[in-house]
Amino acid sequence: MYVELHSCSAFSFLEGASLPEELAEAAANSGMPAIALLDRDGVYGSPRFHSAAKKCGINAHIGAEISISDLGDQAGFPSWMPNKLPPRPVRLSLLVKDRMGYQNLCRLITCYKLREKEKGTGSATLQEVAEHSRGLVCLTGGDEGILASSLAHGGYEQARQKIQKLARLFGKRNVYLELQRHFDPLEEQRNQAAVRIADSLNLPFLATNGVRYAQSKDREILDVFTCIRNHCQLGAAGRLLEKNDERHLRSPQEMTELFSDLPQAIANTEQLSDRLEYTLADLGYEFPRYPLPLGETMDSFLRKRTLEGVQQRYGLKNDEQLFAKATKQVEKELQLIEKLKLAGYFLIVWDIVRFCRQQGILVQGRGSAANSSVCYSLGITAVDPVGMDLLFERFLSEERGEWPDIDLDLPSGDQREKVIQYVYQRYGHLGAAMTANVITYRGRSASREVGKALGFDPETLDRLSSLVGQFEWRGPEDNWQSYFQHAGFDLSHLLIRKYLQLCNRIQDLPRHLGQHSGGMVVCQGQLDSVVPLEPATMPGRVVVQWDKDDCSDMGIVKVDLLGLGMMAVLEDCLELIPKHYGKPIDLAQLPADDPFVYETLRQADTVGMFQVESRAQMSSLPRNAPVKFYDLVVQVAIIRPGPIVGKMMNPYMRRRQGKEPVHYAHPSLEPILKRTLGVPLFQEQLLRMAMAAASFTGGEAEELRRAMGFKRSEDRMRQIEIKLRHGMERNGIDAQTQEEIITQITSFARYGFPESHAASFALIAYSSAYLKCHYLAAFTAALLNNQPMGFYSPATIVKDAQRHGLRVRPIDVLQSDWLCTIERTTNKNGDEVPCLRIGLRYVRGLRQKAAEAMVLRAKSEKPFSDISDLVQRVPELQKSELVSLSEIGALNSLGKAVHRRTALWQVERAVRSAGPLLNSVPDESDASPLQQMTNEERLVADFRGSGLTAGPHPMAYCRNTLASMNIKRACDLMYIADGEYTRVAGCVIARQRPGTAKGFVFLSLEDETGIANVIIHPDLYEKYRLIINREKFLRVEGVLQNQDSVISIKASRVLPVAITAADTESHDFH
Amino acid sequence: MAFACIFVPDFPVQAVIRRDPDLRNKPVAVLKGAPPLTKVFAANQAARALGVEMGMTKLQAEACGALEWRWRSPSQEATAQAALLDCAWTISPRAEEGQKESDDELPGNVILDIAGCEKLFGSPEKIANDLRRLAAEVGLEANIGIAANPEAAICAARGFTGVTLIPSGREAVCLGALPLSSLGIPSELLETLDRWGIHSCAELAALPEIAVIERLGQEGQRWHRLSRGTDSRPIIPKESPAQFEECMELDFPVDLLEPLLFVLNRLLDQLCLRLRMHVLATSEVKVSLTLQPDDLRDKQPLLHIRTLRLPMPVSQSKVLLKLLQLDLQVHPPNAPVISVNLSAIPARSRTRQLGLFLPLSPEPEALEITLARLQNTVGEGRVGSPALLDSHKTHAFQQNRFVLSEASIKSLSSQRLTKAALRIYRPPLAADVQLQEKHPVSISCGKVRKPILAFAGPTKTTGEWWSETPWAREEWDVLVPALHSKVRSDAPAKEAEQALYRIYKDLHSKQWFVEGIYD
Repeated sequence: MYVELHSCSAFSFLEGASLPEELAEAAANSGMPAIALLDRDGVYGSPRFHSAAKKCGINAHIGAEISISDLGDQAGFPSWMPNKLPPRPVRLSLLVKDRMGYQNLCRLITCYKLREKEKGTGSATLQEVAEHSRGLVCLTGGDEGILASSLAHGGYEQARQKIQKLARLFGKRNVYLELQRHFDPLEEQRNQAAVRIADSLNLPFLATNGVRYAQSKDREILDVFTCIRNHCQLGAAGRLLEKNDERHLRSPQEMTELFSDLPQAIANTEQLSDRLEYTLADLGYEFPRYPLPLGETMDSFLRKRTLEGVQQRYGLKNDEQLFAKATKQVEKELQLIEKLKLAGYFLIVWDIVRFCRQQGILVQGRGSAANSSVCYSLGITAVDPVGMDLLFERFLSEERGEWPDIDLDLPSGDQREKVIQYVYQRYGHLGAAMTANVITYRGRSASREVGKALGFDPETLDRLSSLVGQFEWRGPEDNWQSYFQHAGFDLSHLLIRKYLQLCNRIQDLPRHLGQHSGGMVVCQGQLDSVVPLEPATMPGRVVVQWDKDDCSDMGIVKVDLLGLGMMAVLEDCLELIPKHYGKPIDLAQLPADDPFVYETLRQADTVGMFQVESRAQMSSLPRNAPVKFYDLVVQVAIIRPGPIVGKMMNPYMRRRQGKEPVHYAHPSLEPILKRTLGVPLFQEQLLRMAMAAASFTGGEAEELRRAMGFKRSEDRMRQIEIKLRHGMERNGIDAQTQEEIITQITSFARYGFPESHAASFALIAYSSAYLKCHYLAAFTAALLNNQPMGFYSPATIVKDAQRHGLRVRPIDVLQSDWLCTIERTTNKNGDEVPCLRIGLRYVRGLRQKAAEAMVLRAKSEKPFSDISDLVQRVPELQKSELVSLSEIGALNSLGKAVHRRTALWQVERAVRSAGPLLNSVPDESDASPLQQMTNEERLVADFRGSGLTAGPHPMAYCRNTLASMNIKRACDLMYIADGEYTRVAGCVIARQRPGTAKGFVFLSLEDETGIANVIIHPDLYEKYRLIINREKFLRVEGVLQNQDSVISIKASRVLPVAITAADTESHDFH
Repeated sequence: MAFACIFVPDFPVQAVIRRDPDLRNKPVAVLKGAPPLTKVFAANQAARALGVEMGMTKLQAEACGALEWRWRSPSQEATAQAALLDCAWTISPRAEEGQKESDDELPGNVILDIAGCEKLFGSPEKIANDLRRLAAEVGLEANIGIAANPEAAICAARGFTGVTLIPSGREAVCLGALPLSSLGIPSELLETLDRWGIHSCAELAALPEIAVIERLGQEGQRWHRLSRGTDSRPIIPKESPAQFEECMELDFPVDLLEPLLFVLNRLLDQLCLRLRMHVLATSEVKVSLTLQPDDLRDKQPLLHIRTLRLPMPVSQSKVLLKLLQLDLQVHPPNAPVISVNLSAIPARSRTRQLGLFLPLSPEPEALEITLARLQNTVGEGRVGSPALLDSHKTHAFQQNRFVLSEASIKSLSSQRLTKAALRIYRPPLAADVQLQEKHPVSISCGKVRKPILAFAGPTKTTGEWWSETPWAREEWDVLVPALHSKVRSDAPAKEAEQALYRIYKDLHSKQWFVEGIYD
């Protein structure tokens, strides 16, 4: 029986055209008992290959093609044949025999990958291969291999010597001469030489098909990939392309027939396959052991730290009942942790959190970890799971058989980097690494790269790319065919049809390897023997070859160190508030249930606040009308696909407003659903429902959630449903109620949100709301200093802050720092209040280094007297930067009666040397002959130079004209009756087409008084698609809807409106 | 007033309309690029009014409404530009071809020095109107600007429609209303001026000159002066065309080659004589035969042009005549000829010292005639040096021009000898091949059927799957009793004689062929 022992997947990055799953499936379908994956310089696709093969019931052999620097270049074409084949090092095809071999392969790849200067260029030396050769079997390869290269460059004798050398290196039993037949006479010559060499050296030979794609039609994809890799077009690629389409996965029958003259070549594949014992099931991964003081075990150490935490966290609350309950829960959790041998994991996360606290870095655990009282006691999470009655099984259960997942939220930026570097330093560079992020072809990248390969020009590709829908909702027009038609392509043309097909076919194929934003894996001993490591683009970082799902599937524990912009804002506030308001602040001690905060939330006045600022959140806040912390937890969780798809949102809101009675599907569910008025909103509630209604254990309930989660399998779901029905049957629940409960569970499980996670986020949301309500200047400064983040652009944040009474001062080279700062000003009553100064970071094109030099010289020496003085004393500033500063008015304070145009006029003179002859001649033309900018010009300059304006909103300048057209202001809408036909106009600050909204589009129009919400019907959107997507200012006419104080305009007409040419920005959600 | 500018707006479109006057009042778009990458290259005002924009695809342009579209023709544009120069030369010998906006385009304007022309042609206004009329006669609708300096004249012609006369000293006033973009200021500088709030020529002109120089340098000064209409520069007159031309209007249409050769002979004699007087020869001769149109009212000339590009300069009229004769035999005009235009690109005469020990090679002139004769016999594009192409396609090659050089002799001698030679049948011989278990067992070619004694293969190649002409073939080398005698193809093969053939199957047409025989 033939076994394919040399196949490459698309994880050879542009050198293979099929996913590992496709290869495994094709092998299984053709009746092969096993298949080997040998991707170029890595084992990137092996976890997916392993899982797919397991699913198909075949063996997945692991290996890789290793580039070797000192074996010469790969065989090319003879010199008289014109070709563009770039020189590339020979590759050795290595197959893993046993665990030692796998570890050696990983170490070998890591060894040269960590050395590579440019992605994909690393290669090993023969010496390194010799050091890592144990447990590996070497094939002599196809076109890329050593046999082809030696025959082409040195002839038969040299080839024989090189193979002999390999035999010495790997051992005689571990080198196989490889025969491939792709109907090419040159290859046949090589095969003949291979057989002769094998005979003369007494080595075995075997047949492979050097597979690069699963099916022959995929050769087209490989050709396109080749062009992408070589930056050329198909028409000009010549011999770079495949000669034919024979490198697909052939069936054992085909291969047996093809090698009917050499049956031994086929027999040897099966023989070798039997020798390859290793599979990824035997990864040998071990989580690091936490270093302990003498006499301690990890369990005892964890117990001590946890109990200390219990004292701290619960002892201070003076609630004996709670303390007792907490102690009991902690004990239960500790026992399970001990049983599952997870103490080390908790200690390592605790260690990271402890480091953060020592360094003053804000940290908070998110996700299901907040269900654990051990995590709470260790300070990993901030929500009390006992007090909130959260379900521990959602986090950890005996039945789950996998590592728990703890995600830590950290301030984005430098602070998070500090923590990542700490983990590297603590576990060593070969003991910790980031998980990878496999970048795959998506709509735009596919259309662009395929288009390039087919020879389309950049302008055409730009046009096509701009049409590719990026919204979450896909309407009937959001398909490739429609994009192509809109781009003006003639779909009846063959080339265009091919283009269209290829764009579809390469979707989801890997393009290159990136780095995951925060996932880290750590390992006891050497991580490089578990998975190869590579240098990340960011200096000082190492990344594994697998993405986080692969790591998780392979049982590697990961800790997500996620950067959260709002954490950085909170951290900045902790510094700014004591400094400028003279009051200390402690986030853990913020007044609970502050009435002003809840009043603001009820009014949906939430721009800039964490999690509750989105358009959808704003629309539901007045209906939910939060009055206490738990309402906020619900609020965070309710605007999610789960409750929306599961149709839970409206029942909850109606019950909340007393418009419908609270109803429970079964009395046993009342304690579980009471808090959420009988409506399941959280994953924990589903678990508990299953536990209460069908007597599931915690682990079984978690199993149910997972079965219905993202990777749902029909089979598994059916089995669980049967089990659920049986359970309910036993508990005497009638068929109708069973149906209701099952509907609730199945429709919701997929998108549900853990209550613990919602609670963690609600804590941050409350903090952000509190800070915005009470310390607006500090909060706005911090928010602006941590952009980009959140839902709104800086321009909208500034306008919102101004509407709330914050005075915002424009950028000024004598006053501004790099970051936004807080200054003092006097209000109407003569009181001194804080105000905001926009920082130089908002000057587009201004380099931080130059800005800091300018700030330093202005503050440490003396202020700049005029523009010439600035230019002379800050030589770091380039002309373009000075022009930008002048244009936005940042130089207006340098001299008397200096306006923006004067500054532009003077800057041009100051940066241009008059030459030695005229240097001493005074500049007579300082008085600028240029006109001051008009309001419109100032607006255009502000948005062009800084993306925001501290002056009036663009709409304010046209208000009289707009009023004469009966166009209402956003603030007027609350006084208009429901159902009245209304006109509004404003700057588009957000466009959304959520996947859950059946194609409806939501626009947010901002004017000088606030934000108006517009709802657009899918038909209307199709009609005005171009206007809605492209215009920056819109006039919308339609019926006003005011339901429970949620105000929106249901558009019946959308028109562009000429307000300003300023380049305002809309945050469009995709 | 001393300078005039003839400016043709939407020049590529007008160059097309010039050949097809029926389009004059219609919306016209000129397209460029091979399908499916065809895009709008230029459009006239009427087309723009319909919403046509440059860079649109043909499909998009067609969606704008009833639109006439034509392919871009650089040669028509070149002719139009030459015609424009001719218009200028009619008035003044000092004519400058305007500056191109990009390498890809011709300028579509001409500046001419009209100082002193008043005495010959009348007032500047009359000259302007004459120029406009002349341009119209050659099929171009032009704007004419007349001013005291060339730049002001260009600005006037580009900025205003029709005839514009700027009195001396009134340049700043007349040009003031023009937007700065009409001066052709580079985008970077235009951006700076935009920041300053300067948008029109008058606003730029109002700035103090020294201050402008201090800020924008000499370049700024130039544009500043230009905005005031005071920037003067000498024009660079275009030299008379760098080619020699002879032409003859025939008294009556000629439709036979012999009398035409008689005319050509006379013209060639003159041409070669003039070339020889300059100690020059020619490396390219173009014959432009104006043909009698079917409709005599059609003013658009109908041309039959043949160009002889020679590998070496020639000055003998007899050689040129022979080459032209051979060419016109293959490419005769399809209508009676009413005028003949011969133009020759001059080149230095060939001087070469032959090596004493080099083998004699044929006289280049004689070789050229031989090659032309061969081409006449075997067809165009079938004579030359074959060069391999970078493609997996079997026998993919192109025919390069055959040039006899020493270098090629050397490289020939240093090439490795091939082990086996395959003599290709051109065209391949259609065959029928019988297969057994996917292997060829017998072959029928013509009336002969032979068993296949041995085979090797197959070799499979497929390619150009993205194109209209994908190819896929399967090749075999087969040993069969010889189909024909190896010595003489018409003689029957001997019984024992065996031959090694290459056969192939076109996988698209499923047809078998015998491609060649191995030596």
